[in-house]
Amino acid sequence: MPARPVVKRLPARRGLFAGFKGNVDAITIGLKYLVDPKRITLIYPNEYIKLDPGYRGFIVLEPKKCINCSSCARICPAAAMRMIRRMEEDPKTGKKKMKLWPVINYQRCIFCGYCVDVCPTEALYTVPYHDIVYENMAEMDWGLETFVKPPEYPTAKEGIPVKYIVDEEKGLVKVRAEEGEEE
Amino acid sequence: MAGIIDLILSIIFYPPIYQLVLVGLTGSLVVVIFIIWFERKATARVQRRLGPYHIAPRLAGLPQLVADLIRYAFQEVIIPRTADRELFVLAPIVATVLSILPIAVVPLTSNPAYWPIPMDYSILVALALTTVSPIFLIVAGWASNNKFSIIGGVREAFVITAYEMIAIMSILSASAAVLTFNLVEIVEAQRIWYILLNPIAFLAAFLSVLMATSGFPFEIPESENEVVAGPFTEYSGLLYGLNMGAAYMKRFAFSILMVLVFLGGWSPYTPGEGILSGYLIPSLIVVAKAAILMMIFSLTRSIYGRFRLDQALEGAWRLVFPMAVLGFGLALLEAYLGVM
Repeated sequence: MPARPVVKRLPARRGLFAGFKGNVDAITIGLKYLVDPKRITLIYPNEYIKLDPGYRGFIVLEPKKCINCSSCARICPAAAMRMIRRMEEDPKTGKKKMKLWPVINYQRCIFCGYCVDVCPTEALYTVPYHDIVYENMAEMDWGLETFVKPPEYPTAKEGIPVKYIVDEEKGLVKVRAEEGEEE
Repeated sequence: MAGIIDLILSIIFYPPIYQLVLVGLTGSLVVVIFIIWFERKATARVQRRLGPYHIAPRLAGLPQLVADLIRYAFQEVIIPRTADRELFVLAPIVATVLSILPIAVVPLTSNPAYWPIPMDYSILVALALTTVSPIFLIVAGWASNNKFSIIGGVREAFVITAYEMIAIMSILSASAAVLTFNLVEIVEAQRIWYILLNPIAFLAAFLSVLMATSGFPFEIPESENEVVAGPFTEYSGLLYGLNMGAAYMKRFAFSILMVLVFLGGWSPYTPGEGILSGYLIPSLIVVAKAAILMMIFSLTRSIYGRFRLDQALEGAWRLVFPMAVLGFGLALLEAYLGVM
C-alpha cells in the first residue's frame, strides 16, 4: 500500500506580540535563579552521597556464620563468586579436613546482591558504598583474608556526607546527611 | 627623566594607538576573558550547576579562561589539505582585526585633543566599519572547503542581511534625534540618557547586536548540534581561538558604540584637561559601561534556546525591523519637539 499523501498546513499565525509574555516569564525565571541559585552539583571528592543501609555495595563475608554450602557461588550470574578449597582443623575432632570458602572477584561482580539474598545463614552482607578505586586488576580479585572484613572507604574520611531530598517547593535539594540541615 | 616619561605617555596616549592597542586589543581581551567567565558562571547558576570551579575555588574558577587561552595558544594549528590555505589562515586574523576597528574611530572623551579622527561623521564611520568583518566569516567558511563550514557561512550571510539594517537604523536614530553625525555631540546632548527617551530603538539595537555576534537566541551560524561549529569547523588552535574571540570583540565594539549612543558615554563624569582627567578616566568609564552591557548580553545564553534560521529571519524582518523603523520615527518626533 503506497503511503497516503498528507497535506501539511502551517499553524495559524498568532499576533505579533503573542510571545511577549513567554519572554518576560523566561527572563524573570532566569534572573530569579541568577540571584538565588539552587545548586545541586555534588563536589565529589569533597562531598559524597551517603547511601542508606541495605544499598547493594561491596559484599563482605562473616566466616563464623558460613556453612560452606556454595549457594552463593552457584547463583552468581556473573560468575564473580567462586569457592576455594582450604585444609582446616576441625575444632571438635582435631582432624584435618578440606573445606570450601567463597571468595569474590570484583572485576566480574555486577553488585546484584543475589548471593546476599540466597545465603541461608545470612553470612554475607553488603556495605552501603561502592566507589573504591584499585590500582590494578589483581587487587580486585579478593582472597579470603580481604573478603572477611569491610573494605576501607577513603572518601568518607575526607568528604562531607550529603543527601538529596525532594522538597515540595524547591524540587531536588542537597542537604548534609548527618544533621539533616540545608547547605 | 621627566621628558622621557612625557614622551612615553604621549606615545601611549596618542589616540589611535591608545584606542586600537590599549582599549581595542588589550582591553577587549581582558573584558572578553571576564565576560566569558561571567557567561559560564551565570549560565551555571541558572542551570543549578557550579561552572568553572576546581582551578581556583576562591576566585570562582576565573583562571580557567586564562588556562583555556594558553591551551589555544599552544595547540597545533591543523590546515586541511583540501582547504584554501592562504584564505584559511588570513580570514580569522582579518576578521578579528576588523571587528575591533570601530573602537579606533569612536570618541572616548569630549576633549578635542584626544580624538582619534575628526568627529564630524564618526557615527557613520563606526557603523560602516562594523559591517566589514562578517564577510570574513563567510570567507572562512568558504575557504575551509567543508560542507558544515559552507552551510555555516551561508547561515551567517542570511543573518547579516537580517541584522545589518536594523543595527544601523536603530543606532542612527540617535543622530536623527540630535540632528548630527558627530558622536561627541550625541553624547553631550544626552542630559537624559537616550535609552530612556527611545527604548524601542535600544531594544532593536540590542537584538541586532545579539544577531551580529551570535548571541544566544540567534546563535545560528555556529549552532553546535546542527552544523558542527559552522564556519569554524575545520579550525584548531589559535586560529579557532581568534575566530571565537572575534565574535566577542565585535560585541565589545558594538557595546562601546551602544554605550556612547544610548547610555550617555562618559556621562556622570565631565572630561577636563590633561591625560588623566581628559582621556583615561572617561575612557575607563565607557569601557566599564560596555562591560556591564556585555554582561546583560551574555545573560541571554542562560535564558533562551536557539531559534531556527527561518524563525530568526522572520522575527528580524517582521518584528525587529518594524521596531527599528518605529524607533527612528520616535527619534524624528523627538527632534521635531526638541526633546534632546
